[in-house]
Parts: sequence; structure tokens; C-alpha cells
Amino acid sequence: MPAEVASLRYADVNRDVVRSLVETGPKYYITLACALGLTLVCFLFPWFYQLNLGIAAAGMNHPQVWGTYEASFIFWIGLSHSGTLLSCVLHITHSSWRKAMYRSAEAMTLFSLMVAVTMVMVHLGRPWFIHWAFPYPNQMELWPNFRSPLLFDVTAIATYLTGSSVFIYMGSIPDFAAVRDRTTGWRHHLYTLLSLGWRGTDTEWHRLGWAYTLLAVLIIPLAVSVHSIVSWDWASSIVPALHQTIFAPYFVVGAIYSGTAGIVTVMFLLRKYMSFERYITELHFDNLGKLLLALSLIWTYINVLELFTGWYSGASTELEALKYKLFGYYAPLYWEMILCCAIAPLLLISKRFRTSFVPMLVLSIAINIGMYTERFLIVGTSLSRKYLPDAWGLYVPSLVELSILVGSVALFSTLFLLFVKIFPSVSIYEVKETLPEAAELPKPATAERGGVQWQPVQ
Amino acid sequence: MAKLERRDFLKLVGAGSVGVGAGFMLAQSIKHPLEHLIPYPIPPEEFSPGVATWYNSVCSMCPAGCGISVRTREGRPKIIQGNPSHPVSQGRLCGLGQSGVHVLYNPDRLTTPLLRTGDRGAGAFVPTTWDEGLAKIAERLRTLRENDRGNRICFLSEGVRGHLAMVFERFMEQLGSQRLWHFDFAHPRTLYEANQRLFGEQHLPYYDLKNARYLLSFGADFLGHWLSPVHHSLGLAHSRQGRPGVRGKFVQIEPRMSLSGAAADEWIAARPGTEGLLALGLAHRIVSAGHYRGPDRDGWADKLSRYPAERVARETGVDADTIARLADSFAQTQPSLAIGGGAAGNHTNGVDILIAVNVLNYLAGNLGGAGGLVFNPPPAVDSPRRHASYRTMLDLAAEARAGQIEVLIVNKTNPVFALPAAAEFKEALARIPLIVSLSSFMDETTALADLVLPSHTYLESWGDDFPEPGVGFPVGAISQPVVSPLYDTRATGDIILGLSQRVGLGTALPWANMEECLKQGWREIHQRGSQNGDAESFETFWTSVLQAGVWGQDAHRAAPAVNIEPRVIDGIDVEAPRFSAASEEYSFILHPYLSTGLHDGRGANLPWMQELPDPLTSVVYGSWVELNPVTAQQLGVSEGDVVDVQSAHGRISAPVYIYPAIRPDVVAMPIGQGHDEYGRYAQRRGVNPIQILAPEMEPSTGALAWSATRVKLVPTGRRVKLVKTDGASRQLGRNIVRTIKAVSS
Amino acid sequence: MKRDDERGMHEKWREYRRPGYYEELDYAWTMTIDLDRCTGCEACVTACKAENNLPIVGEKAFAQGREIQWMRIERYWEGEYPNARLRFIPMLCQHCEAAPCETVCPVTATYHNQDGLNAQIYNRCIGTRSCAVYCPYEVRYFNYNNHHWDPPLDQQLNPDVTVREKGVMEKCTFCIQRIRQAKDLAKDDGRRRVRDGEVQPACVQACPAEALVFGDRKDPASRVSASMNDPRAYRVLDELNTRPSVIYLKKVTTDAG
Ligand SMILES: Nc1nc2c(c(=O)[nH]1)N[C@H]1C(S)=C(S)[C@@H](COP(=O)(O)OP(=O)(O)OC[C@H]3O[C@@H](n4cnc5c(=O)[nH]c(N)nc54)[C@H](O)[C@@H]3O)O[C@H]1N2
Ligand code: SF4
Ligand code: SF4
Ligand code: SF4
Ligand code: SF4
Ligand code: SF4
Repeated sequence: MPAEVASLRYADVNRDVVRSLVETGPKYYITLACALGLTLVCFLFPWFYQLNLGIAAAGMNHPQVWGTYEASFIFWIGLSHSGTLLSCVLHITHSSWRKAMYRSAEAMTLFSLMVAVTMVMVHLGRPWFIHWAFPYPNQMELWPNFRSPLLFDVTAIATYLTGSSVFIYMGSIPDFAAVRDRTTGWRHHLYTLLSLGWRGTDTEWHRLGWAYTLLAVLIIPLAVSVHSIVSWDWASSIVPALHQTIFAPYFVVGAIYSGTAGIVTVMFLLRKYMSFERYITELHFDNLGKLLLALSLIWTYINVLELFTGWYSGASTELEALKYKLFGYYAPLYWEMILCCAIAPLLLISKRFRTSFVPMLVLSIAINIGMYTERFLIVGTSLSRKYLPDAWGLYVPSLVELSILVGSVALFSTLFLLFVKIFPSVSIYEVKETLPEAAELPKPATAERGGVQWQPVQ
Repeated sequence: MAKLERRDFLKLVGAGSVGVGAGFMLAQSIKHPLEHLIPYPIPPEEFSPGVATWYNSVCSMCPAGCGISVRTREGRPKIIQGNPSHPVSQGRLCGLGQSGVHVLYNPDRLTTPLLRTGDRGAGAFVPTTWDEGLAKIAERLRTLRENDRGNRICFLSEGVRGHLAMVFERFMEQLGSQRLWHFDFAHPRTLYEANQRLFGEQHLPYYDLKNARYLLSFGADFLGHWLSPVHHSLGLAHSRQGRPGVRGKFVQIEPRMSLSGAAADEWIAARPGTEGLLALGLAHRIVSAGHYRGPDRDGWADKLSRYPAERVARETGVDADTIARLADSFAQTQPSLAIGGGAAGNHTNGVDILIAVNVLNYLAGNLGGAGGLVFNPPPAVDSPRRHASYRTMLDLAAEARAGQIEVLIVNKTNPVFALPAAAEFKEALARIPLIVSLSSFMDETTALADLVLPSHTYLESWGDDFPEPGVGFPVGAISQPVVSPLYDTRATGDIILGLSQRVGLGTALPWANMEECLKQGWREIHQRGSQNGDAESFETFWTSVLQAGVWGQDAHRAAPAVNIEPRVIDGIDVEAPRFSAASEEYSFILHPYLSTGLHDGRGANLPWMQELPDPLTSVVYGSWVELNPVTAQQLGVSEGDVVDVQSAHGRISAPVYIYPAIRPDVVAMPIGQGHDEYGRYAQRRGVNPIQILAPEMEPSTGALAWSATRVKLVPTGRRVKLVKTDGASRQLGRNIVRTIKAVSS
Repeated sequence: MKRDDERGMHEKWREYRRPGYYEELDYAWTMTIDLDRCTGCEACVTACKAENNLPIVGEKAFAQGREIQWMRIERYWEGEYPNARLRFIPMLCQHCEAAPCETVCPVTATYHNQDGLNAQIYNRCIGTRSCAVYCPYEVRYFNYNNHHWDPPLDQQLNPDVTVREKGVMEKCTFCIQRIRQAKDLAKDDGRRRVRDGEVQPACVQACPAEALVFGDRKDPASRVSASMNDPRAYRVLDELNTRPSVIYLKKVTTDAG
């Protein structure tokens, strides 16, 4: 256990976390205003413009009917992956280093999912009819098409969104209670509402423990399935270079990869700007670095495999798609992706690198740029080289698209900034469990029955 | 109620406005455009809403004269289809013909008579009334006529046939002027001359592609715009897949692959201008190999001995084996047919070339029979030979400059666009005191007019047509208005008849309008028919012709025994083609061709035709220069590089298109774009290659030799994105277009 | 049989699930395209534009690759000068029996109807464009914006066909309005079925080479059935097993002679 953590007392944790909610300096407001402004200017205005004009505002064309909006959709879904998924996996494997970071990681999941759904809206030609994609009873007996992978998407994402919202909320209840007890005024009312009358009895802890673990176990396959299903949007087409069985694991690994990198980025920012230096430590970066390294190797393996399958098929269409990816118009992007996602992460072999904060930040951002590129290439290279050469085309994103891409990051940031002022972004009670003080307390009987280590902390 | 603080109020107002604003924007974004179902409140009698009415009429978009059926709904023409009863088009139609509705509904139509106010060509016009307009010109015509200076009136029309042509004739005759000319850029003048000289035929023969088994085309883009493309297309398709067990073979000889070349079984790029020599080389082989056994065999053998295979191969670039093979197949696969035209007819030796092509038909015995060259009986209403050659136009310009022309009436022809700059026609027009245009559009020539009397489009007018070359028997069709006039315009014929009345030519032109004139003309046709025992009344006849849209006479002409006199045989020769400018500097031959959609430029104001991908390159909305890949490599240019195309007579620039099927010493450009006027869809788009053509002529006809210009190419260093629909142009072994080898027919 | 509104959902569902339901088409509209006749003249392209209210998109849209052509002619070059040859192939919706575009549409805006047509319901389309991704023939065209006809060009618009708004996918319908009209006519005449040749889509009607034949392949005596049985018949991208209703007849090539 790092020294910073060892020196903490329960009271410190309470103070630090509640301070992060209650004390808001001008820096925060300025950042929030920037994020909001950017969302408005780069996201909402261009989107209104596009709603008014039509998708003509974007660079898409025939045959490249999908573009950055789809790429962003996969990207944000991907980014959502590590949060809740990682938190669940680490929870059931009793990895105690997770405790300081999981709350914000889960928030990432939630907000990336929301941004992903927004990207779908931006992508649609007529988003005002999006409700038609949901199965609701109507007098026309008109249902959505249950055979469509897009409808699988709707189902999977809706479930995932619900699951992860419940998960993050449930895990926060004791903390809401803690904050409730240390605040006054409207905050007190708000947290009273949010904490659902939590008193911290043994029974409550016990039930929370069970429910939390159960949900964690359920969410793991769900998360894996979400990105598998998203991959079927592509894989169940017969488009050369998309119609691949490897796509589901490819997408899942890619998602966890980019999500983990995203967590590193967020950890760094939280640590730095919310003064959580004593909670988020080198240990976290070291562990996340190892995970990233493993993921980068798997990701690279699958990429090589993908190329191999294409080449091995010997089909003109697959070969052309391959050639185009490696040496065509978008090839510089491809090699940029390889650099960011396969080569640069090899630095993670070094422990010194893993425990250096700024290099880790740079790498994590590079990985996500690489992963965004991957998503763009999936859409870009394949659709421009389908079956009929006469119909081949070229797609270059328009300014509106690029602006919306930037704006979606701003949207995400805005949501996250609001989150850190409402949710305790470091789990108070779970961090306390890891402190030396925890050992001094008597072990409650419930812990044995639950089979999981849970400690009531007030 | 709680007290509302000012700040809270402002916040609420702010939030509310944002909400309303967003809602409004969203609502605006998704609202449907307003639509009107029925175009006007008081409908004419003839229609019932929701029910289509069909009218048969005649296509006037090109000289082929296809029969059309126009579907109208609620009094508005919607779509033009082929008239199934019409033997020329047989229910089919080309793209240009279907775009006739875009002529009718063109937003740039002239809607009312106009009077020039500013300087000529400045484009300043004020609306005037028909009365004023007609009075103004009638006054001038009357004065000139009464002073015996009628010949100072010139009438320049697009090619017209039937009774409208007759009205023009009488009108000018009564005025005392010989200066009546039809002007079409692409009129096949040399073809008429060649037929006249070899066969003594006034009219073009019917080329029976349908029944031919071996077709040899020297430059004639018969699927493009040569004579009667729709009919030819039907014929070729039938010759290939319409006869069980027989598939006609077709060889195309031309320097740049045309639409027809692309359809050919074999495409041969002989040196430009040597097509006639090649034909005589084939003729030599036919005679020397004993395929021809006519009584005048010796005369031919003697005559053709000057065209041995080696010489012909050397000069045409087609190897001797191919010559022998083509000649043998042509002579032995009966019936066979040789046609010539397009670029081959537009060289300085164009008439020689086309005569040589006809020699092949003579030697192979293709005259008069099915699958060959069928001589047409005279049409029911003959059209005058009035087509102005380039030389005529030059003479006209000279006369204008000499002040011998005081009034020029221009009817829907656009010489300012369709004559090379070297003709200085535009400058000559400046010397004519009164120019009157009857065009429906503000084209380049109309822009120079003093008075514009806009005519109806063909879909609003009465007329008739006797298509040439037709189909081997007399065919006539009545063109009837399919819609009440959209604007304050008048039918061309009615304008002329109106003028005649005002000038006082009533006795020779007694009809109140074209409909009356037509009726009288068709009464005569009916009477001639009735003598053969046809007893129905004229009214029944008239209605039935109107309904069917066509009238035909089962009168095939007995195949005449064509004997070519020894004198004529003796005179057969092909001169070497002449090209403008020295070949060292101007190292390429310019091959301008009629664009599929825009024809000679007349289609440039039709949005559908601007948006029709060129069949061979897929380019839309612009001009381009076609280069052989090797040529492009030598010049260091690739697709989209803008090059200057310079002749000794002008310079235009356009982006390069790499064209795999063009001779390396030839560059091709489509005609049709490059309009300065002619409405929003045509204006300021591409370039007009006609402008830089050298004023070379075929000497005997004075026809412009528009394939005889040499040019040089100078890359400008500029680059544009060529707007086209094609992605990649090779199949990459994907078996998309599959082929099968013919099992020898 | 009960009237439609009297039958419960379960009854309808059962019928829908009956084996072979999909195979029992009322008609099986089919087009054959003879590549040995087709000259690439594009009369069919114009005809389709005129009949089906295809928008005039303008030069900029073409430059951006946003043209709309339900019928387009593809060109493929073979060989090099002087042996270069150009092959044309008209490409339109193949009305696949196993249409990939249909499975992917989340709202069933594109579906197979009882006439064997791949139908497109513009009203229902939400513009995901996934059907265009899934279609291997690239015949689906998206409305990137609302279209405008400079008046009075709008008066040409065919009242039998809607004008599509922005955000909606569109494609060849086999001129469904003409099929409907022919069926109505047959019904008025007291006939159960449309006669062979009664329906002529605009492109088929226009083609100056009579390269296109349209009809019902369920009728063994129809022209299209005869044409399909030509030994030259093949389907484009047959290996994908989309089972197109557009059948091509191979182009015939010859030896020099
Ligand atoms: N939201 C909304 N509501 C409206 C309107 C609107 O514009 N918008 N319009 C209103 C107007 S103007 C009207 S007229 C009403 C129409 O309302 P309804 O009269 O309910 O009309 P339909 O929906 O056509 O339903 C008629 C039923 O009759 C059945 N049917 C068809 N043929 C026969 C037959 O020969 N015999 C019998 N017994 N049944 C038959 C059909 O299957 C159908 O179930 O709706 C009114 N309600
Ligand atoms: S060939 Fe000429 S006459 Fe015939 S439809 Fe085409 S434009 Fe009209
Ligand atoms: S109209 Fe007929 S010949 Fe012309 S391109 Fe279309 S299918 Fe081919
Ligand atoms: S061709 Fe394309 S759009 Fe048409 S049915 Fe097949 S998959 Fe669907
Ligand atoms: S674009 Fe329209 S038709 Fe196509 S899949 Fe989406 S909703 Fe269905
Ligand atoms: S069948 Fe109708 S909709 Fe389809 S391409 Fe032909 S004309 Fe267009």
C-alpha cells in the first residue's frame, strides 16, 4: 500500500470527498462554461444546421453512407466498456486497487453511452422518428424489425444503459448518505433523496453487498454482448472486410482497450484537478498500464488475424479491401492507428513508464486517437470498396462532422463535470475499507454470511 | 403564489426562449414543403383529375422525327414516351427526346415578345406586345417588298420539314427573297452529296440495319446522333438478338470510340481521313478476290488496282490481313451493309469517303434488298433542299457585311454558337439593321436580336413531319399541341402566317393558322390516297391520324437496278484529307463529337441532359478533353489536369479525361457546352470546341470539315475535379459483365 | 375466411409463420437485361428520372457523389488500346428474394411484398442508411437534403409518385405505380391477373434496344420467363446468394471475322 494512502484517516476521506462536492472554485466554473460553450457551438449548432439542411451537411455520399457519426458511435460505445465492465470484473476478483477509481470509471460508461446514443440521433436522416425503432404497441400493429442487428443494438444498449445506471447508483448510496450527513441546505435535501434513507445497518450493508455482486456478475456478459452486438451491425452485412467472424471479439477487445485508456486519462485529470493525489496513485497507473499492455497485444493479434483472413480468402473483393486499407487513400490513417495502438503501447513493458503520470496520460490519449481511427477506418475503407468497382467512391468528413466530433467530447466533458459535483467521484466507503483504520474495527458477522468483504463505515 | 424575483423571472424567460427557439428550429427542420396538387383553379375541359390522357405527336428534339406519346395529367404533360405505332421509334425514345418536357417547363423560357433597349448584345430587353412586335417587322418587310428589295430579307431557320417548311418557302418567295436557309450544325450534307453523285438519289436511302448480317460502319455514330439513332438501335438489337440462330456482326471504324464503337464487335481506329481509302482497299480485295462478279467487273478491277492492300495498309494504319478479312466477310456474309458518316463525312474529302463506302455496298450487292440500302420513295410532302453549308453561311456573313441584308429572321437556330469563331458570323450580324428571333430561349443568337417573338415549344404547336431517311416507305406524322400554351408565345407557323397577313401576302398564304394549313395539306394527302379506293371521309382520316399519331403508306419502292456508269466509276477517288495548320506544332487532330445528351448544344439547357452521365465517360455538367493514356503520359497529365487546346483559330481549356479507346494522335471533345447565354443550366459551363475549328471545307459541298482541325495541347498546371459518376473502371475479375463467345453464326 | 379486422393478432401471426408463406408470391415480377442488346445509351436512365420524380440534384451534389439514379449504367473497360473494349451494364435494384437490405432495416421500411418486390416505404424510413451499406449492388440512394425544382419544372412531377423528403432512402421500385395501375385495370376488367406485357416500367418502355424485358416469372408463358431461360442468363454477384429478380443475359463476343 502506497504511503499516501497509509497516512489517511477516515476523517480525511470524508473531508476530501465532500470538499470536492461542496467547494467549487472559479476554475471549475470556467471549465464548465468552456465545456458547455463548446458543446453549444461545436455540437448543438452544427446539429441544428444539419437537422435543417439534411445529412448533406456531412460529407457522406454514395456509396459511403456511413461516416464519422457511425465511427463516433462505436467509439463512444467502446469507451463505455471499461468503466462498468472493469469495475465489475475487479469487484468480483477482489482487486482492492479498483476502489479509488471505479466510481468515475462507471460514470464514464454512463456518459459515453449517452453520447453514443446522441451520435445515433445525429447519424439518422430523420431522428424525429427514432421512436419507431422501439417496440411499442400501436394500433397499426406495426413493429420494428426484430431481425435487424440495429434493433439488437437498441435492445443491448438500452439494457446496458439501464444496468450500468443502476450499478453506479447502487454503489453510491452509502456515499450519498455520507454526504447527506455532512451537508446542509439544498444539498442535504438532494442527498437525502438520493440516499434513499440509507442508515448503514448491517442488513442494509448485507443486501447492498449481495445486490452489488449479483449485478456485477450480470453486467459482465452484458457488456461483452453489447459490443459484440454492435459489431454485428457490420459483421452481419456482406460487405467485404466487414463480413468477418472475428468482429465480435475484435470489437470487445477494442472497446475494453480504448475504455481502459480512457480511464487512465480520466484518472489523471481527477488526480490532478480534483486533488485526489492521495487516492489515485502510482499503483493504479501501474495496474492499468499492465492491463493496457495485455489488451494492446490481443488487439494487435486480432488485427493481424483480420488481415490474414482477408488475404487467405483469396477473393478479389477481400484482397482489394485489404490493399486499400494498407495502401489506399486512407492508408496514412491506418499506419497512424498501428503506431498508436500496437507500437507505442509496447512502452508499457517498462514499470517506470507505467508509473509516470504524464507519459501515461499522453499514451492513453494516443491510444484513443488510434482507436477512433480504427473505427473510422472500419466505416471508411470498407464502404468505399465494395463489390461493384464502378460505384466506388471516396469520403472525406465535412466541417460539420468534425465539429460534432469535437463537440461530442465537449458534451461528454460537460456531463462528467456535472457528475463530479453531484456524485462523490471517489467511493468514500470503499476507499475507507483499504485504510489501516479499517483493520482496527471489529469484523461484523454479516461479512461471513455474505462471503464478500463488506464493512459498515460511518 | 410565491413572489417572483426579477432574476428568477429573467432566468425563466431565458430558459423559455431557449426552449422555444430550439423547438422552433426543430419544427422548421422537419416540416414538409408545401405542395400544390392541381396546378390551377380553373381546369380546362379535357381532363378528369387522376386520369392520364395520352396524345400522340412528333419529337422535334433532333431531325430523326420519332413518334411520341405524351402522358398528360390534369392538363400537364408529365412524361414523353415513344409512340408504339410510329415505325421510326416503335414505342422507344432516346434520352434527349424524353427531355422534351424540360423544354416545355424550362424556367428560362421566353414568355413574352421582347424589344431590345440597350446596345446589341448587352442583353437589355423590355417586354412588348405581339401587335407591336409584329407591326414593327411587318412594316419593314412591306417596305422592302414594295421597293423590290425583298432579297434583302434573310430567313435562317432550324431544319424543318413538312408544311411548316412549305409555309417558309412561300413566305420568302412572296417577299421576293431567295435567302431562306435551314441551318443545323450537324446536317449530313456530304452524305446527301455522296448519294446524289453515286446513285443519283435526292433523298437519303433507308439503312436496313435490322436485317443486315454484317455491318461495316465508317465513323457513323448511328447509335449516337447519326440520322435516326432510336431506329438504328432497334435495328442493331434485332440484328443481333432478334433472329434465332443468327447474330449480325458489326465492325466500327473510327479514330475515337463512340457509343456505336462501344457496341461493335470489332473496333478499328484507322487514321482519320483515310476511311475512304480503307473502303476502296476493301473494294479492291472484294473485286480481286473474285467476290464481285458483275458485268462491269473489269472496269472496277482496273479502277481499284490503285488501292492494293499494302498501300492502303500503310496509309490507313490498318494491317493488310485485317483488310482482307473484313473484305471477305463483308462480301460473303449476306446481307451486309456499309454506312459512313460522322467524323468520316466531315473531312475535307468527306464526299469521297462516303462515295467509297457506297462503292462497297454496290460491290457487295447491298442495294435495294432487305438488310441493305433501301431507296426511299419520295415523301408525301417533299422538303426543300435548303440546308446552309458553311460556305453559304460565309457568303451570308459577307453579304451582311456588305450591307445587303436588312432584315434577318432567325428561327430556333443558333449560328453564333454553332459556327467557328473564324467565320466571324457574330461580327457580321452587327451590320444587319433588324434581327428578329423566333426562339423560345435566349440563346447566343437571340441575345443579338432587336426583336424577339418567342415561339411555342413543339409540345404546344401544330406541325407535321415526314422523317428522313424514314423507314423505306412513306411515313408522315402530325405534331399536335399536347398542352395549352404556358405563356404569351405563338407557334412559329402562326407567327409567319400572321406576318404574311400584315404584309399582305394573303393569297399565297391564305390560312389563318397552322392548323388550317395542315388540314388542307393533309386533305391533299388524303385525296391522293382516296384515288386508290380509300373512301373514308377526311374528318375520319384526320382524327384517326391524330389519334394514331402517324400515317404510313405501304409503298415500298421497287429496288431500282443501280448501274453505275463507267464515267462515274472512273471519277471515284479519295483525295488525301487536308488538315489545318502544320502538323509539327499542332500535333493532334481534334475530334469534336456531338454529345449524347446535349446534341449540338441544343440540349444544354435541359437539366436532365446536363445530369445524364456521358455514356462513355460518365462525366456530367461540363467539358473535357479525351486523351489516349499514352498521350497523357507523354504530356505528363492525368485526369482533371486542365489543358489548353489551341488551334490556329482559337484556344479553349478543359480538364483531361484519360480515354482508353482513342488514337494517340487524336484528341476528342464533346460539343454542346460552352454557352454564354441559353439559360441557367447551360450558361458558363464548359467550353465550345466549335469555336476553335479551322474554316476547312469539303470543296464540292462547302460543308464545314469539322474533323480537320489540328490542335496543340498545353498543360496549364491547373487541376480540377472532373465531375463524373464512375468509381473504378475495371472489373478486377469480378465477373460483373459476363460474356460468351458466339458459336459462329 | 374472416375479414381482416375480425382476425386476432394470433391468427394473423400464425398465417405469417406458416411454412412457405414467403414463397407464395402473388406475382414474381422479374426483369431481364440483355447485355448483347444494351448499347449504354442511357435512355432508360432518363425515363426513370421522368417517371419517378427523381430530383435534379445539381453539379455540386454530383461532385460530392450524391446523385440519385435508380437506374444507372456501369462501365467497365477491358484491354488496352487498340484492343480496348467497353462493357456496359445497367444497374438497378435487383429486387433480391433474399435481400440483405431488408433484414437490416430496423423499422421494416424496406420489406418484401407479395409481388416479390423489394418495397420501400418512404414514410417509415428513419434514415439509418444501413440498407445501403448492406446492399451489394449499391442501388440505394439517400436524400441528403430536400430537393427543389425551379418552377415550372415542378409541373412535370408525376402525380402517381411521391416526392421524397430529406433523410429518406429511395431506390428503384420496379415502377410499382404502374404495376398498381395495371392491377386496378385488370380488376376493373373483371380479370384476376394482369396480362403479360401490361406492365411496362418506364425504363423498359424507353429502351431503344429492347434490351429490357419485364414480366411475371410465375407465368411460364410470359416473355420474361422465356427470356430467363436463355442459356445466356446469369445473375450479378450470384455468389452472394441474394437471389436477384433481375437477370442478365451475357454479352456475346465474337472472334475476329
Ligand atoms: N385521427 C383521425 N381520426 C379520424 C379522421 C382523421 O382524419 N384523423 N377522420 C374521420 C373521418 S372523416 C371518418 S369518415 C372516420 C372514418 O372512420 P371509420 O369509419 O372507422 O373508417 P375506417 O378506418 O375506414 O374503418 C372502416 C371499417 O370498415 C371495414 N369495412 C370495409 N369494407 C366494409 C364493408 O363492406 N362492410 C363492413 N361492414 N365493413 C367494412 C374496414 O375493414 C374497417 O375496419 O374517421 C374519423 N376519424
Ligand atoms: S432520336 Fe431525335 S427524334 Fe428520336 S427521340 Fe431522340 S431526339 Fe427525338
Ligand atoms: S436504354 Fe436500353 S440500351 Fe440504353 S442503356 Fe438502357 S438498357 Fe441499355
Ligand atoms: S439490390 Fe440491394 S436494395 Fe435491391 S433488394 Fe437487393 S439488396 Fe435490396
Ligand atoms: S435508411 Fe430507411 S429503409 Fe434503410 S435501413 Fe434505415 S430506416 Fe430502413
Ligand atoms: S423499373 Fe421503374 S423504378 Fe426501376 S429503374 Fe426502371 S424505371 Fe426506374
